[in-house]
Amino acid sequence: MIVCVAVVGHQNNPLYIQSFTEADDALKLHHIVHCSLDVVDERVNNPKKSGLTLNETFLGLLYPTENYKVYGYLTNTKVKFILVTTDLDVRDADVRNFFRRFHAAYVDAVSNPFHVPGKKITSRTFAERVSNIVKSFGLSSAG
Amino acid sequence: MANYLAQFQTIKNSCDHVVIAVEDVSDLWPNIKSGFEERVPIKRASLNNKTRNPVLVENFPCEFILTTDSRLRSRFPQEQSLFWFREPYATIVLVTCEDLDEFKTILKPRLKLIVQNDEKEWFIVFVSRAHPSNDNAVKMAKKVYAKLEVDFSSKKRERCCKYDIHGPEANFWDDLESKIMECVRNTLDRRVQFYEDEIRKLTEQRFMPVWNFCNFFILKESLAFMFEMAHLYEDALREYDELELCYLETVNMPGKQRDFGGVDHGDDWAALLNSENKPLTQIVQDDSFREFEFRQYLFAYQSKLLFKLNRPFEVASRGHSFIIGFSKALTLHENMLPFCMREVWVITACLAIINATASPNYDGLVAPDIEKEFYRLKGDLYSLCRVKFMRLAYLIGYGADIERSPVNSALLSMLPWPKPPVWPSVPPDASPEVLEKEKVILQASPLIKHFGIQRKPLPLEPSVLLREANRRRASLSAGNVFEMFDGRPTLIDGSASDASSRTPLSKKMNAISMSRTNSSPGTFDGSVDRPMRLAEIYVAAEHALKHTISDADLWKALSSVEKFEQKYLELTKGAADNYHHSWWKRHGVVLDGEIAAVCFRHGNFDLAAKSYEKVCALYAGEGWQELLADVLPNLAECQKMLNDQAGYLASCVKLLSLDKGLFSTKERQAFQAEVLRLAHSEMKDPVPLDVSSLITFSGNPGPPLELCDGDPGILSVTVWSGFPDDITLDSLNLTLTATFNADEGAKALRSSTATILKPGRNTITLALPPQKPGSYVLGVLTGQIGQLRFRSHSFSKVGPVDSDDFMSYEKPTRPILKVFKPRPLVDLAEAISSALLINETQWVGVIVRPIDYSLKGAVLYIDTGPGLNIEESHVIEMETCVNISQSSAEMTNSNGTQKDCSSASKKEFQQLKLQDGRIEFPAWASDVNSVLWIPVRAISDRLPRGSSSVTSQKQSNLDGMRTIALKLEFGVSHNQIFERTVAVHFTDPFHVSTRVADKCNDGTLLLQVILHSQVKATLTIYDAWLELQDGFIHTGQGTGRPTSSFFPLMISPTSRAGIMFSISLGKVIDKDEVEELQTDSILNIRYGIYGERTNGAHPPVSMDGTEPEDARQDLLFKSAIVLQRPVLDPCLAVGFLPLPSTGLRVGQLITMQWRVERLKGLEDNGISEHNQGEVLYEVSANSENWMLAGRKRGHVTLSTIQGSRIVISVLCVPLVAGYVRPPQLGLPDVDESNISCNPPGPHLVCVMPPALSSSFCIPP
Repeated sequence: MIVCVAVVGHQNNPLYIQSFTEADDALKLHHIVHCSLDVVDERVNNPKKSGLTLNETFLGLLYPTENYKVYGYLTNTKVKFILVTTDLDVRDADVRNFFRRFHAAYVDAVSNPFHVPGKKITSRTFAERVSNIVKSFGLSSAG
Repeated sequence: MANYLAQFQTIKNSCDHVVIAVEDVSDLWPNIKSGFEERVPIKRASLNNKTRNPVLVENFPCEFILTTDSRLRSRFPQEQSLFWFREPYATIVLVTCEDLDEFKTILKPRLKLIVQNDEKEWFIVFVSRAHPSNDNAVKMAKKVYAKLEVDFSSKKRERCCKYDIHGPEANFWDDLESKIMECVRNTLDRRVQFYEDEIRKLTEQRFMPVWNFCNFFILKESLAFMFEMAHLYEDALREYDELELCYLETVNMPGKQRDFGGVDHGDDWAALLNSENKPLTQIVQDDSFREFEFRQYLFAYQSKLLFKLNRPFEVASRGHSFIIGFSKALTLHENMLPFCMREVWVITACLAIINATASPNYDGLVAPDIEKEFYRLKGDLYSLCRVKFMRLAYLIGYGADIERSPVNSALLSMLPWPKPPVWPSVPPDASPEVLEKEKVILQASPLIKHFGIQRKPLPLEPSVLLREANRRRASLSAGNVFEMFDGRPTLIDGSASDASSRTPLSKKMNAISMSRTNSSPGTFDGSVDRPMRLAEIYVAAEHALKHTISDADLWKALSSVEKFEQKYLELTKGAADNYHHSWWKRHGVVLDGEIAAVCFRHGNFDLAAKSYEKVCALYAGEGWQELLADVLPNLAECQKMLNDQAGYLASCVKLLSLDKGLFSTKERQAFQAEVLRLAHSEMKDPVPLDVSSLITFSGNPGPPLELCDGDPGILSVTVWSGFPDDITLDSLNLTLTATFNADEGAKALRSSTATILKPGRNTITLALPPQKPGSYVLGVLTGQIGQLRFRSHSFSKVGPVDSDDFMSYEKPTRPILKVFKPRPLVDLAEAISSALLINETQWVGVIVRPIDYSLKGAVLYIDTGPGLNIEESHVIEMETCVNISQSSAEMTNSNGTQKDCSSASKKEFQQLKLQDGRIEFPAWASDVNSVLWIPVRAISDRLPRGSSSVTSQKQSNLDGMRTIALKLEFGVSHNQIFERTVAVHFTDPFHVSTRVADKCNDGTLLLQVILHSQVKATLTIYDAWLELQDGFIHTGQGTGRPTSSFFPLMISPTSRAGIMFSISLGKVIDKDEVEELQTDSILNIRYGIYGERTNGAHPPVSMDGTEPEDARQDLLFKSAIVLQRPVLDPCLAVGFLPLPSTGLRVGQLITMQWRVERLKGLEDNGISEHNQGEVLYEVSANSENWMLAGRKRGHVTLSTIQGSRIVISVLCVPLVAGYVRPPQLGLPDVDESNISCNPPGPHLVCVMPPALSSSFCIPP
């Protein structure tokens, strides 16, 4: 289950963060997303070590923790997408697909002429679309 | 073969270096042993690794063992092949011989026998015992050695070397070492080949049922061990890696249910770095090993080799993934392991790796990025350890001491509870402990957040422990737990979604554990029906853990809250420190916050504040407001405790400036109340405070305020207040920054009165003193609230500063104020340029023309120059300007907005009073052009003189010029000053010139008086009479008045009129009375004037102002007239003698001649001459026209007798062609009226152009 998705700006400022847990514990997910920026930074700053080619937007698994997984995605404008999931067996292809759709949704959201670049994304349409993407991610991984 | 396992282990433990066999044929070893053994370990050796590439090994260890030694003798052939790695790698044959025959007959066959075994790598050391002084013996030894070489060495390989016992040759030892290493290398290669072949064979059978992992393991490890003996650690490590891979494949093969292991006492203590923990024989299971022990065993060997390779970084990195992976394996087998075995194992494993890699000597060994990675891994290990440790602590009831921070919540609430087959139950004799725990639970009060902030605490548990524990105990209904127990709500809160989020896998696990629970009812002693209370769960867990944990230190750390906290701090600090050294700064800083929380609980506010500050800076810097809102109140509380007022205030302000949705209004009001309380009461000294995020300001929309140079103004600024309530600012300053000049300091505008800011938008007006020209932008807003000096740098465009606009303090580029460069704002000019009447009260008009600038409240200072008086008793009139004169129309300013006077809406007129030389302008005059009429009188006591044809009098305009200095003070605060001196021309109404029109025979002279009107007004002459000077009388008995029917005589502006007077010569009065006689005739004219003051001269202003407009005002004009004496009077006559008839030419020298003749004898002449008979003459000429030669001035003798004459001649050269005035002769000593001139007036002569210069044209 995806518990949290987030968009983080190029100055590491949160642009959009949405948790999908029922409990009132969004703060811990904020923490997870925030700390995962360490890994993103590290990957971006040491492309050689991580074996990551800079052409690749998908950063892969950021956190190999026992209980949840954090995936990252870096757009070419240095906007990061973070995905936190409690599914421990996730296929990479699913995540890539998720991020691709998420990226498309993000691009649509920031293309809104009333959106101020670098400001939080408040679009309800975007939120709905993200929620749909998240839901369908759950389905595809179950199926 | 698996039976050899024990033996294999023993062998491995007993031998750890390469053995070199010494075949001591001639009993030489005891003598040379020491020399040989000194050489080991061999400094440098070249070996081949597994891929047959040469590798340089340093300090290669080896041992010399005689073949007769028991260690080499008693071995069975099968053992030898299996444990081949321990067999000698080289054989040194030691021989000596001093006799060729002996060599041939005895030694050689024996040697042949020894070396015939192909398996062995051997070489012969010939020991020469011959003393160097004994030449014979030396020679013999050489001979034998030569023979030996022939027999045993081949072209391919040197197998002999010679050792001189009395002094070995210099290169002997090198030779020996290289020979040893050659043998070792060959042997090693051969054995590696052997093992590889064997392993390959086994690998091929891997999927056959006969396959036995133990056999494979022995072979593989033998090879690895052999590499290790040869110091080829890389190869050894590779073997172990392959071994591990192979093992993981086999162990995960389905179908074979194996014991996992880990159920022995002490297994919880991770042995991943201790290979000797358990003998392998104990962990053998069927044809393989138990996973729990064996994987740790393999890792232990790998890390041992890595340490030998000096790669602790890799130990940490492999260790971390090993722990993670192994932990997963433990989870799979958790229902067979002791309670919390997994957690304990992870803790001990992490600590083991941390301790093993803790050596500080690694710094600088590797590239910085690897080092950073190393620290990151250590941080991860610490962090992992910390999580598990917290979990254990929570289980035994220290949950209240764990900060419910986001980081702890993230780590713990997503970590499932341990899943033992049966949740431990309370031991029978534990009721006192339960009571004590209950007491602790009851006493623990929920942590109250500062400022009365109410937040639901974050969960530390994946699901409610109470429910989880009871469910795992028995088939109790979990749904009733809430109703049945007074569980603490804070603990029951939190994620209740455990069941829904559980993966199918864990559901299956539950089912298994359920069935197990039911199948073993013996574990519950009667309490199976009653669900456990929380305290009981804690106690039960504590007992179970005590049973599980074999590490005394770890158990000690869990024995009390204090010990727990100590260990917790140690782990947190370790993690934070290591993260700080790595790339993962955020992890480090966040953990600093956890340390701070502990410090805070213990009242160590100083340390806590420092750490909290770092955390806050991190969150604030990147705009993570939700996280900041969680930790910032803690920092504020620390600062409050530390009495750090500045910091506390800053924190309060920061709290207020966070996103409004993050705190309730009540909480925000509490923050504001704190700020105000401090500001007004507690602080002694003013404290500076940056409120940029809270109070922002901007100029009003629209064009900037525009001011003229030197003008003050009022600036209106919009200020946004982020305070939840009204706030009173005791004072407010705003600086303006000039955009044109950065060096210019910012100007501060002050508003010292208290300002009340409402939440949201406020408009503030500030008085603006005069500024230098230029445009200005807003600078800094400063002010004071009580003792609080705040400042704000941030500008908002149209709304309050966006909460997430945290990094860009946008500088306003839009100027708020423009001060124009100095320009004319007003113009004062004389209304008329024509002359006014002198000596009469006249209106002087001054046009006041504002140039796009209001003259409201302007004051005009009038100061007249000499010879001019203002009639102060009279009012000054002011009216709108009807017609603007041409001169002022030209002065329209550049923007062309000059108002047309004539289009002024209404004609205004007002009478003003001059007070102390100043007049105040009426309001209507502020924007329109107006004329100020000032009554003045120009005083002149000089009698005007007429001119005649004889005495042409030059008229000087300057005589009638008067000046009025005007100073206009205007502008908002009379700051603008305009000064202008206006010149006014005054004049007499007439200029009089006279000439004698006719000279009658009876001596009557007709004197024509010509009156030139000097003013732009109609003059009417009512009467005129002439007061004659001495020597003249009116003809007849008249009074000198012309016929009265002439009058009134009207003279139009600038026209002329003439009056004839008939006079005749009278007798000359005696000399004595000369002084009292009038020398000039006076012309008196009574006249009136009709004129408009807008045009020029006009009737004088009546002083009382009551006289009707059309009343006639008779004015009197007097003018002196010079009347020339008749021609008979002259006593000297000057005649200009005719010029030559040829005419004058330029450049031609001519003689000018004047004849001076005395007309009267001196006796009857009143003219005084000092020098009798001498006359002073002077020739004057325009030097541009004439060049004079000879004396221009001088005395000539002229007899005093009447009729005497003399000629004065001067040489002249005309310089200019045309009609020019000739030089004139003057007699300065003689009065003009006594000289009769011929010609009488100025005359002209004609000068021809110069003749052509013919001298050059005529041929000689």
